[in-house]
Amino acid sequence: MVYIGPTLFGFILGFILGTRIKSDKESKIKFPISTYLVVLLVALFMAWQLGPFPYYTDSIIASGFLATIIGIIAGKVILGR
Amino acid sequence: MSTILKIFVFPAALLIMCLGVLIILGGHITPGGGFQGGAMIAGAFIFCAVVYGLKENPFKFSHDFLASMESIGALGFLILGLSGLFFSGFFLYNLGVDLNQIIPTFIQNFFNYSDPTNAGIIPYLNIVVGIKVLVGLSAVVIAFLEVK
Repeated sequence: MVYIGPTLFGFILGFILGTRIKSDKESKIKFPISTYLVVLLVALFMAWQLGPFPYYTDSIIASGFLATIIGIIAGKVILGR
Repeated sequence: MSTILKIFVFPAALLIMCLGVLIILGGHITPGGGFQGGAMIAGAFIFCAVVYGLKENPFKFSHDFLASMESIGALGFLILGLSGLFFSGFFLYNLGVDLNQIIPTFIQNFFNYSDPTNAGIIPYLNIVVGIKVLVGLSAVVIAFLEVK
């Protein structure tokens, strides 16, 4: 079972950061949905390589890391427009 | 800046920010903590600010955002400290652990961080310090970049 503490607060901190990602329409730099999908996959791999950080035994991945990237993407989708 | 950097930096900054949050959340039992994790998150923001410039930076840290986060960090620390003073008589008393066994169980459960390490309020202090540091360091760089 995943511990609530790191998962919840990782999501909250990620959500706060995700809300600040704003795409500028006049800018030439565009980051489409595919960017976030690739980042999510890389984050999943990184979380697996990190293991159950820090010294937890709840899962095989770093749940706080994964919760943060999910929070960032959720914050971007919900409020970061 | 080169196109390669402009393509690479934003996804990398997202991952660095995740690592920073992980450093904050593991601060009570591993090397690291609020300051180090906050500095990592600010580093990711600075990475973007240097490569894209303030105008085209995907992370828009507005003045209101910086002010509110700074306030939340400071007030969170103060509230945790004063809670200890109110319930136990000691400023910043670790209510979640309650080594002196002087407070009721439900208050101890309320302030205890929910992981098996039984760290009490230490992770919460790490989180509010992390928020304050990330905002403080980012504000310094924003102020420098705005001066021409």
